[in-house]
Amino acid sequence: MDNERLDLPQGTLDLLILKILGLEPQHGWAISERIQQISSDVLQVQQGSLYPALHRMERRGLIKAVWATSENNRQAKYYQLTRQGRKQLETATAAWQRLAGAVGQVLDAV
Amino acid sequence: MWSDLIHRVRAVLRRNKVEKEIEQEFQFHLQHQIEKHLKAGMTVQEASERARVEFGGLDQVKERYRDALGTRWFEDFLRDCRHGLRLLLRTPLFTSVAILSLALGIGANSAIFSLIDRVMFRTLPVKEPERLVEVGTGGLSHPLFEELKWNITSFTGFFGRNIRPLGNPEIVIDGQMEPVTFELVSGSYFSVLGVNAALGQTFTEDADRGRGGNPVAVISYRYWQRRFTSDPAVIGRTFRRLNTVFTVIGVTPREFYGAVAGQEPDITVPLTMDAEVRGSQSCLGQFGCWWIAVMGRLKPDRTAEQARLELVAIRGPNISDGKAWLSQMWAVEPASNGFGTLQRRFREPLTILMGTVALVLLLACANLANLLLARSAVRRREIAVRLAIGAGRGRVIRQLLAESLLLALAGGTLGVVLAYGMADRLVMMMSNGGRRLLLDTTPDARVLLFAAATSLAACFLFGLAPALQATNRQSFLPALAEIRANRWRMGKGLIVVQMAISLLLLIGAGLFGRTLFNVYSVDTGFDSRGVVLFSTNTATLGYDNERVQAIHGRILSELRALPGIEAATVSKYPPVIAGSWRQQLLIDGNPVKGAPNLNSVAAEFFKTYRTKIVSGREFDEGDTGMSKRVAVVNEAFAHEYLQDRPPIGRRLSLTVERNSPYEIVGMVKDVKAQSLRNQSPSAVYFLAAQVPPGDSHTFALRTTVGTAGLAPAINAALTRVDGSLRMQDLRTLDEHIARSLLQERMLATLGVVFAGLALLIGAVGIYGVMAYQVARRQREIGIRMALGANAASMVRMILWETARLTLFGCAIGAAGGLALSRIAEGIVFEIRPNDPVTFGAAITVLLLIALAAAYVPGRIAAHTKPIEALRAD
Repeated sequence: MDNERLDLPQGTLDLLILKILGLEPQHGWAISERIQQISSDVLQVQQGSLYPALHRMERRGLIKAVWATSENNRQAKYYQLTRQGRKQLETATAAWQRLAGAVGQVLDAV
Repeated sequence: MWSDLIHRVRAVLRRNKVEKEIEQEFQFHLQHQIEKHLKAGMTVQEASERARVEFGGLDQVKERYRDALGTRWFEDFLRDCRHGLRLLLRTPLFTSVAILSLALGIGANSAIFSLIDRVMFRTLPVKEPERLVEVGTGGLSHPLFEELKWNITSFTGFFGRNIRPLGNPEIVIDGQMEPVTFELVSGSYFSVLGVNAALGQTFTEDADRGRGGNPVAVISYRYWQRRFTSDPAVIGRTFRRLNTVFTVIGVTPREFYGAVAGQEPDITVPLTMDAEVRGSQSCLGQFGCWWIAVMGRLKPDRTAEQARLELVAIRGPNISDGKAWLSQMWAVEPASNGFGTLQRRFREPLTILMGTVALVLLLACANLANLLLARSAVRRREIAVRLAIGAGRGRVIRQLLAESLLLALAGGTLGVVLAYGMADRLVMMMSNGGRRLLLDTTPDARVLLFAAATSLAACFLFGLAPALQATNRQSFLPALAEIRANRWRMGKGLIVVQMAISLLLLIGAGLFGRTLFNVYSVDTGFDSRGVVLFSTNTATLGYDNERVQAIHGRILSELRALPGIEAATVSKYPPVIAGSWRQQLLIDGNPVKGAPNLNSVAAEFFKTYRTKIVSGREFDEGDTGMSKRVAVVNEAFAHEYLQDRPPIGRRLSLTVERNSPYEIVGMVKDVKAQSLRNQSPSAVYFLAAQVPPGDSHTFALRTTVGTAGLAPAINAALTRVDGSLRMQDLRTLDEHIARSLLQERMLATLGVVFAGLALLIGAVGIYGVMAYQVARRQREIGIRMALGANAASMVRMILWETARLTLFGCAIGAAGGLALSRIAEGIVFEIRPNDPVTFGAAITVLLLIALAAAYVPGRIAAHTKPIEALRAD
């Protein structure tokens, strides 16, 4: 099963994080779990990339973090989209889809 | 953008908290992961191991996380600073020399800048200051001011103010007498400036109506704080000045300090109250008394030049005062920073001083760069290791610059402290023995910013070149000798720069010193030794002119009776004073062109000042207010107005008087009336009792017993005449002359101080570089010695090297001096700014100092033992 897992292409992690957080605010662990679940275990997020990415995005003002109590009563850092993040999610999604479509077309055509 | 900055700042400032949060977040993640594995059926051991493996190295992740925080450069910077601090503390001598020389340089620059800023750049805190202009820089008479008011159309409004400070008149408040500073302004003053009262109200145009009919006063914010402890009930309070009771109607805003920088008045009253404030000295309504400085606010569609042309055109039948030579007075100058009194006086010397201290700072930087260069030679090994283990060159340069920055910051901080003291001393100097100029020398935001910018610039100036040189990778290749030669070349270059700057400063000191000497050497027309001057408060006591004259007569008799007094007199003006009384005259009934310098004096005037009487006689006890009206003229007057014909017996009259004319009874040598630098003007002396009262007077005593202990004797004499008389401003005539030479003294004194500083820094620089040179060439010197060179030739070699560098620097400095000589053109006196003697002397002094500084390393070279030299290295 491990062999079927793919590493994320450069830059797509941010987009996935935005997408996950677009549904509801989440803490770091849940974000990585969600990505794994939704992608049916195909996409594996390295924790070593996840947290720096979260922080970079926080710095850029795309997401913001609040400390809150988690479902099992522990203090967790929840991330949520800012307005700017929501906008970024839209444009990045559109850009990704165009890119994926174009790449697909090329691959199909040849 | 903002969130970025906030995050970075937070990450730096609240570092521990941020680290703890990271830790907490990671732990949370791990625990969730472990739980997940437990649920999947692993043992606790397996689950936690697996989770850790999945997570990756905790510290590596943290490190990447920190990178993402974007604070790395800052943390590096702090580390560099700590490292630099340790290194600097290890070499306390170098560090203190560096900080001290920077502090002197930055301090002097900040001090001069703070004064230039106050005097020249800061605009008045009023509405649209850029539309304010100053009209006629010599002042106007009151009738002329009134006439202008109705005729001029270029201004939305204009106002007048007394042009010179009014001395220290006393007021009675709460039954107590106290001296205050007064200002007389026309009613439009506050409205034209656009200044509203902070409390109460200000004057309106109504205050210009009726002489003596507006006994109201507006007080300054600071006087309100000082005298009335900011009590709002001050409105309506009264004080008495002479015989008039004034009512306080308002307080000016805190930021407003009047219309003249450095002369904030305590109390402002309407111009129409002049007689009530100044008593018999009042010039209100008088022709020929030029005492009102005028400022106008230009209409939006007018320029200063248009206003000037209009003023020139107005001169005509309407203007009854002054006539012919009036038009040249119609200067219209921008006045956005207030009346330019201080500016006109100090613009030139302050600019020159600013240039001087900038050179001093440059010199200090060059010197420091040289010291750092030698220092980096010592640290060659450390730097090589750092580069070898993979630090980038930029990284090492940053580290070296951090060290320079520490020095610059320490120097800058100390410099600001020094600047405060220096600016204070300069203000004392500029106040010139009189009332202290009210220039606030506390370093404010602008000065601090200037100091910070200067420090930063200095840091790069002295730090960058040595840092680049030190990290030059080639330095660490085997071909060391070549690189050391490079470093040596840079050191030599810096020495040449230092010598060039030192020479410039020396030339400046020489020119200004000789100017002062030359000014003191002019023929003044009087003998200043043994003469003491003082004034009294007679004019502020409210006595009429007759009583003042009588009192002056009795004071003189008392003074002449004192032991050791050879002669005593009183005059409107002493020699060498800024004030003047000029008026047109009729000679034998015919009006003449121009207006000679007039003075009203008492008997024994020329005897007291030892001015030679060429023909006729001087005033004596026989001349009184009742006797025949007489006058004395000087040679320049006889030359200019009488074509050198004998003046005795000719008759003079003042244009505005219908009384009988004055008969010339004597002619005297020319006396420097206004400035030692100017040609003595044509002058006429009248007897004080025979002319209209003046607004000032100065007593003069010629003593044969020295001036010590004179003050109590004079005071006692005054008290015998009138209990309320007081002596003011006692000084010797020499001191009085020194005051008139403020600019010359200031430039000469500071020029010499800075040149001395330059020599000191230059000597240290030469010594340092030559000592390094000797150490570097130890092997070569050793070989030469072994081959039979003697000690003297080694000393000669070092001295010759020094002389070459110095002369090269001198050539550059002299060229710079010639290029800059134009600036000093208007300041030097009876000497050309490119005077070859001064240049030659400066070069000689510099060369001697440089050789002396190089002699010690030269001796060290001479005593090199060949065998030790060869063993070393």
